[in-house]
Amino acid sequence: MSLLENSRKQVFHVLCLLMLAVIAGSTLISIFTEGVQLKIIKDLCMTCVLFTGAVLSIALGATGVPNDVENRTLYPIIARPVARWQYVAGKFLGTFLTVTLGVSALSAVFGGLIYHYQGSFDWFLPAATIFALLEAAVVAAVATTLSTFASPVIAASVSFMVYLCGTIKIGFFGGMLDLATNSTVKLVGGIVYHFLPNLECFNLKAALVHGDSVPTAYLAQVAIYGLCYTVFVIWLGAVIFKHREV
Amino acid sequence: MNLPIQIENLTKTYKLPRGRKKTAVDSLSIEVPEGVIFGFLGPNGAGKTTTIKIILDFLKPTSGNVRVFGRLTTDPLTRRLVGYLPEQPYFHKFLKPIELLSMHAALAGLSSREARRAAEAALDMTGIADYAETPIAKLSKGLTQRVGIAQALVGNPKLLILDEPTSGLDPIGRRHTRNLLIRLRDEGRTVFLSSHLLGEVENLCDVVAVLRAGKLVAYGTPDDVRSSNTQFKIQTVRVDNHILNRLRFLEVNIECGADSTVMRVDPQNAYELLRAMEKLGLPLIKIETERESLEEAFLRLAA
Repeated sequence: MSLLENSRKQVFHVLCLLMLAVIAGSTLISIFTEGVQLKIIKDLCMTCVLFTGAVLSIALGATGVPNDVENRTLYPIIARPVARWQYVAGKFLGTFLTVTLGVSALSAVFGGLIYHYQGSFDWFLPAATIFALLEAAVVAAVATTLSTFASPVIAASVSFMVYLCGTIKIGFFGGMLDLATNSTVKLVGGIVYHFLPNLECFNLKAALVHGDSVPTAYLAQVAIYGLCYTVFVIWLGAVIFKHREV
Repeated sequence: MNLPIQIENLTKTYKLPRGRKKTAVDSLSIEVPEGVIFGFLGPNGAGKTTTIKIILDFLKPTSGNVRVFGRLTTDPLTRRLVGYLPEQPYFHKFLKPIELLSMHAALAGLSSREARRAAEAALDMTGIADYAETPIAKLSKGLTQRVGIAQALVGNPKLLILDEPTSGLDPIGRRHTRNLLIRLRDEGRTVFLSSHLLGEVENLCDVVAVLRAGKLVAYGTPDDVRSSNTQFKIQTVRVDNHILNRLRFLEVNIECGADSTVMRVDPQNAYELLRAMEKLGLPLIKIETERESLEEAFLRLAA
């Protein structure tokens, strides 16, 4: 249901088409980068895939619950024997499946381009796409949870902040925390730091571009981290929504 | 015995800005018997929708408790027994009625094949089977309302909670819905309906409850709720104001029509009025006794 609803939204179509145009455009840019053509294409295309996943997750996740409340389409659904957590989980899954649809389409075109330029398929691309989707799942979970109590604008803004901070968590915030001398700043910063998702770990762009190998154990660890974080955040959203009056 | 709805001492207070509070429902206790059409009446803001929302666990009560067939409303499985039509229902407009109803039947716990069958049956019952494949966006307000009623029916609920079920329906749709509700009642289901159409409630409901400012002000059969006092309705020819003023020594309610005048008077004053009319040479066209309608009772109780 949420998948049907989300896939009809303008943001989904516009963003997917725009990113397809950028992917197509990357072949033109690569003309001027003799020798590293493929690397440029891979870099640009993977950025598109990651960006699409994150933006769709925020745009669809942050609006799902508030739209249902505002349009009153929520009432007939929760008047059924549906627990609030099932509703929140359904909303999240609808968002995630729509993102998967968009990201998979882009990834398929991206894969076609790699095949065209490289003459063979890059088997690391599906793995990179799956981890991009895991990142999208985390972001969608955050956006969906925020949307259970906040307005779409606030939910989207905070989700975007979390996304931005999450992508520079280790490199930037980690360094800043080490430099902090005030114990309160260190404590509060530490709590925020540990609660923020580490989205950098899902980004396998560098490995894809440079053809580096990534240890399977690391991938498994990251996958478990992503799944656990997503489940925890959605559980939090379900608890909040359970106590919300609608 | 587990009643379809049992409300005990229910109070709901909303917190408003600057520490103010508003009590929407105040110590409400109601029992809805099984197999009846129950009319839940009250002016706007009386607390009807708040009560319905608490029954369905959309809102949490401040105090008191509500049970549906003896079960707690906080248990989602309780809602397996309930079908709900919200006031002015909104559905995803891109869906077709058959898709929407199948989805609701599936949410009610039916398998996909049973859900499709239940959806078709509900569309048949509400007389909109011809529109099963038309997107909801293209349906009129009345047809959308009927889709809403059909949606409440899927899953074979024992209790139907309908908020303004005939809102937006034309006279044919209204009659169809009325007959459908009677049929559902006759099948043993309980219908809990909130409506402003008092004439309809009077003809349809077995039991009514009237709310005013969150408090229960009347409960019983429509007959119980209406005042037992009768009035005499006396009709004469159209008369001038100065003659009318000579009749106003009694507590007479006078309505002047285009070609006649109707006077309503309590039985103890009727004889005096007839004598006065005779003195003034006013002919008696018609005299009959009249009992308070539910609408009049509602205005008396809820205003």
